[in-house]
Amino acid sequence: MRRFWKWFAGVLGVLLLAAFAVLSYMAGSPKDAYGMVRYALPHMHRGTLKVGSDAPDARLVALDGNSRFHIRERTGSRPLVLVFGSFT
Amino acid sequence: MQIYNDYKDHADFLTVYVREAHPTDEWQMKSNVKDDVCYAQPKTLEQRVVIANDFIKRFKFPLPFGIDDMSNGADNAYSAWPERIYIVDEGGRIAYRGGMGPFNYKPGEAREWLAARYGAVKHEAPTAPASGAPSAEAVPASSPAPSPATAAK
Repeated sequence: MRRFWKWFAGVLGVLLLAAFAVLSYMAGSPKDAYGMVRYALPHMHRGTLKVGSDAPDARLVALDGNSRFHIRERTGSRPLVLVFGSFT
Repeated sequence: MQIYNDYKDHADFLTVYVREAHPTDEWQMKSNVKDDVCYAQPKTLEQRVVIANDFIKRFKFPLPFGIDDMSNGADNAYSAWPERIYIVDEGGRIAYRGGMGPFNYKPGEAREWLAARYGAVKHEAPTAPASGAPSAEAVPASSPAPSPATAAK
């Protein structure tokens, strides 16, 4: 029985290694593959907001780097589509 | 940008610029190097503002824009990093909550929400451009985390 579990662990290890190698090839490098796996981990799918929740407010800075405004100032008369992201 | 062009007469749009997804001093992707999108994670608001302005200039990005300050308040409130879409209705409530990027980031879902309310906007398939002429909708993406420019498709 013990031999079976050793064999099973070995095969599982080889399969995981092979899967990571394939992912590394697809992603471009092992570092990129590792990053993608991190994206998929459960803790990355965070967020408690739900449909129907009050939309949180936050203060933002305008492109001039000085002016400030609140997200809430843009809501009210029409739906507001918020697109979060960055250049990289 | 197409979704913005299609529905800007019906809904407001706001791009919220958050902390970098693939800065040079963290997890930089090869595609970032290829697309010449190489920035360290900003340590000051001024640095973040500079990068945001670079983005605007490079893509002639037309959407209204706001930058999260260094407390990352908007990012934390909306669990937005690296990219995400929400729609807030007229009552200030979340009407659409998009998945977290890159794998669950689906601008098509936001388009479906808008289409359900205001009608679908169809586009004819583009004809082949003249050789050497770039497509007006082509936006280089730093995969797997597309820039905000690719969000509003």
